[in-house]
Amino acid sequence: MKLRDLFTPDTVKLEIDSDSKDEILKELIELLELDDKSEAILFKTLKRRENLGSTGIGKGIAIPHCRSLVVEETRLAYGRKSNGAEFQAIDGEPVHHFFLIVAPPLEVSNQYLPILGKIAQFAKDPDIPEKLLQIDSPDAFLTLLEERGA
Amino acid sequence: MKPSSPTPPMHPQLMILLELQDLRAKYRELERDEASAAVEREVFNVDPDEALTGLGEAIEKLENSLSAPVRARYDRISPNRDRVVVPVLRGVCYGCFVSIPTATAGDQEVNQVLQGCESCGSFIYVVT
Repeated sequence: MKLRDLFTPDTVKLEIDSDSKDEILKELIELLELDDKSEAILFKTLKRRENLGSTGIGKGIAIPHCRSLVVEETRLAYGRKSNGAEFQAIDGEPVHHFFLIVAPPLEVSNQYLPILGKIAQFAKDPDIPEKLLQIDSPDAFLTLLEERGA
Repeated sequence: MKPSSPTPPMHPQLMILLELQDLRAKYRELERDEASAAVEREVFNVDPDEALTGLGEAIEKLENSLSAPVRARYDRISPNRDRVVVPVLRGVCYGCFVSIPTATAGDQEVNQVLQGCESCGSFIYVVT
């Protein structure tokens, strides 16, 4: 299972408009193109997860994640905020890169944790945050994933 | 593409049950799945015990917001099942894998009514 196969250009947004944590989460959720009710439920679930502790893992990266009945299969989205946003990250630094993961409560393939681990591994590669800031199109994001074998 | 037609209404108690379901899933995962707890601890610096306490409180709060009849049914189902609400996909209940009658599963506004699977008794959420 490759991360590259779980993203599409439509689920990549290279300029997140919002500044607040809540609005950023909503903007990421919108990339999944769910109906309004599902978006509302998903937002609450992601918020509750954030209340347990920020998903900002440091070095400008956040991985908001949850399981939710509103998706049939594991869905991923990526959003970039070039000038960074306050996300209560572990290192206290602004977050530039947001990887959203939403999985159904039960999966046949049980991909959720391996995907979470792969994204954390990919994003913590020392030069990845800078490379992500340089990409200029969703396709370039997908190419970067491919190049890294992710 | 995001659905262009207006979102079908959803029963307010079903929305609460869906939230509850998601929280219970997270609780279960932290409580029973060491790999999941390890990811939260090591990648996200979350203390699983503290998280379980927080989740437990949130679950209780939501449970208390269920109406009396829904709460009674929820209390009957929840001790024995991980999932109180189950999705219905392509007409099949994912709690017991029995086909749901078309009259129940086929209506676009089906989630406006709080329904249970006649076979397994779980609340159902029809994925349209």
